[in-house]
Amino acid sequence: MAQQAREPRIGFLRRYFRSGRYFWLNLTLLVILLVVSFFWLYPFLWVIFSSLKTQRDMFTSGARLLPDEVWEWGNYNRAWTEANFNVYFMNTVIYASAATAIEVVKSSMCGYVLARYRFFGRRFLYGIILATLFIPIASIIIPQFNLVRSLGLLNTRFGVILALSGGAGALYVLLFTSFFSTIPEELFDSAKIDGAGFLQTFLLVLPLARPIIGTVVIFQFMSTWNEFNIPLVFTLSRPELRNLAVGMYAFQGEYSVDWTGFAAGTAMSIIPVLLVFFIFQGYFVRGLQGAVKQ
Amino acid sequence: MSQIAIDKPTADPSSNVPPKRKKRDIPYSMRVQGWDALWIVLFLAPFVLLYGGFTLWPLIATVMYSFYDWNGVGPLTDYVGLQNYIEIAESPSFWNAFFNTLVFATVNTIIKLPLSLFIAVLLTQRWMWAKRIWRTVFFAPLVIPVALAGLMFDFLLNTRGALNDVLLNLGILERPIDFLGTPDTALVTLILISVWQIFGQYMIYWMAALQNVPETVYEAADMDGANGWQKLIYVTLPMIRPVAVIILFLSFVNALKVFGLVAATTEGGPGQSTYVVSYFIYNQAFRDLPFRYGYASAAAVLFGVTVLLAVSAQGYFVRKVGQEGN
Repeated sequence: MAQQAREPRIGFLRRYFRSGRYFWLNLTLLVILLVVSFFWLYPFLWVIFSSLKTQRDMFTSGARLLPDEVWEWGNYNRAWTEANFNVYFMNTVIYASAATAIEVVKSSMCGYVLARYRFFGRRFLYGIILATLFIPIASIIIPQFNLVRSLGLLNTRFGVILALSGGAGALYVLLFTSFFSTIPEELFDSAKIDGAGFLQTFLLVLPLARPIIGTVVIFQFMSTWNEFNIPLVFTLSRPELRNLAVGMYAFQGEYSVDWTGFAAGTAMSIIPVLLVFFIFQGYFVRGLQGAVKQ
Repeated sequence: MSQIAIDKPTADPSSNVPPKRKKRDIPYSMRVQGWDALWIVLFLAPFVLLYGGFTLWPLIATVMYSFYDWNGVGPLTDYVGLQNYIEIAESPSFWNAFFNTLVFATVNTIIKLPLSLFIAVLLTQRWMWAKRIWRTVFFAPLVIPVALAGLMFDFLLNTRGALNDVLLNLGILERPIDFLGTPDTALVTLILISVWQIFGQYMIYWMAALQNVPETVYEAADMDGANGWQKLIYVTLPMIRPVAVIILFLSFVNALKVFGLVAATTEGGPGQSTYVVSYFIYNQAFRDLPFRYGYASAAAVLFGVTVLLAVSAQGYFVRKVGQEGN
């Protein structure tokens, strides 16, 4: 019994070193992948190292990564304060968190109802949601712009959040729907017999959807963090409402000389999203896996 | 005796064809009772309202605007019929953008999907080392805002940038090339950048599809003595074909919407060599005076409808060939 408990640890080591059958193949792949990922990640390395160079150094260094003179930490300072980076950063945090929260709430609720109840118009709604995923209209930003303007929300944070969370979500609803329809009916039956109400039942099964929630959080947070078109058009006359992508883009236009400040800004904007990915990546593939089944 | 044996499979409740469900067969828990109707409306409302407002209505409105001469301010009054469409159809810069967008989406998909499938297959093998690390590596470019990625490559690929530095030092090039500033190389460069950017997302899609293939299928293949390669060709790929079609469509449709990358790097240039439809629309509606919403909308509709027709025709033929193959 005790020996069995120790088994996984030995199995882990065995997987890495004793499986001679794949040892050389793995070693070869390791070398190849190391080289590939150096080139793959080179732009990242370049940005991070550039953010520590002086202007002159950056322009003359070509492909070299390491700064040759001093390490210029002042770039971060400059990007953070002079380029309004702190403002853009806070805006982006607000946009991305709010839009992600709204997305999770509304798509889980909609997916739950679509999966669990048979009501009039259910198939129609499902069909429409599915169909719009594949409509190749290059841009629907003009009517979105008009809608937000007629609501009086143009050039407000709320308007941007509304547009960011309103335009997405079809895929997420489908993910939640197919997940909730894999939950056995007996669970709902017994909850109902025990007297759980509608809301109680929903809150009971929502934690089961953790993989889907993780997937939605990653995808939605990432895409709103990086969103360019909507914040650009919706904050044209209020620069202080810009998000990082638009702000950095404008930054390059206004201070076209300050490339190291730009690099520092980019490096800072990458970190939060990487954190979200690291935290949620465990759920990620599992969440999509369940969804593809349907 | 034989009669029973034949009858048995059809009576088996776990057979593949589910019995048609009558209304009263709806399971107890799925029936709408009492206050449920109100809750259902409450639960659907947030999504339906936002989706209606920001996805469905815009699609309808775009079609509507396209029949008016409208600068975006005031009521829609100047109905012009098909005038916008006629003007679009005669605009060489629209057709140029149309063609560029199709090339972009097609080549992007052709490069991206097989490569990401290959990596996904590799990263779902049980014997593979350090899968989590490689997964993160290939995923990483997704976390850079697309506009910033564009600016970054602007710098890396100009005549004094890193790539030219390396190529000159290796003696591959004699003179530096401005990769994004030369008409012949600009579009290809943009395509490669966007493949690099979005790669991780499609790798994850493929991994999800691959891990959904039931383990029992592989066990059966093992018993038949299939090796790893044969299992991939004869088991895995046919099993993921339905999902592959969805991934293909998603990839193509999303690539057609390319905007941020173009806006941040080439702004459609040099000349019009990287002018794409969404940038054309943005220019007509928000940049070039006078603003022409109606005209820009007509461009969006014309492009969308043409592509939809082409894609569904393709889908139809693919399905037909598939059926004949069976």
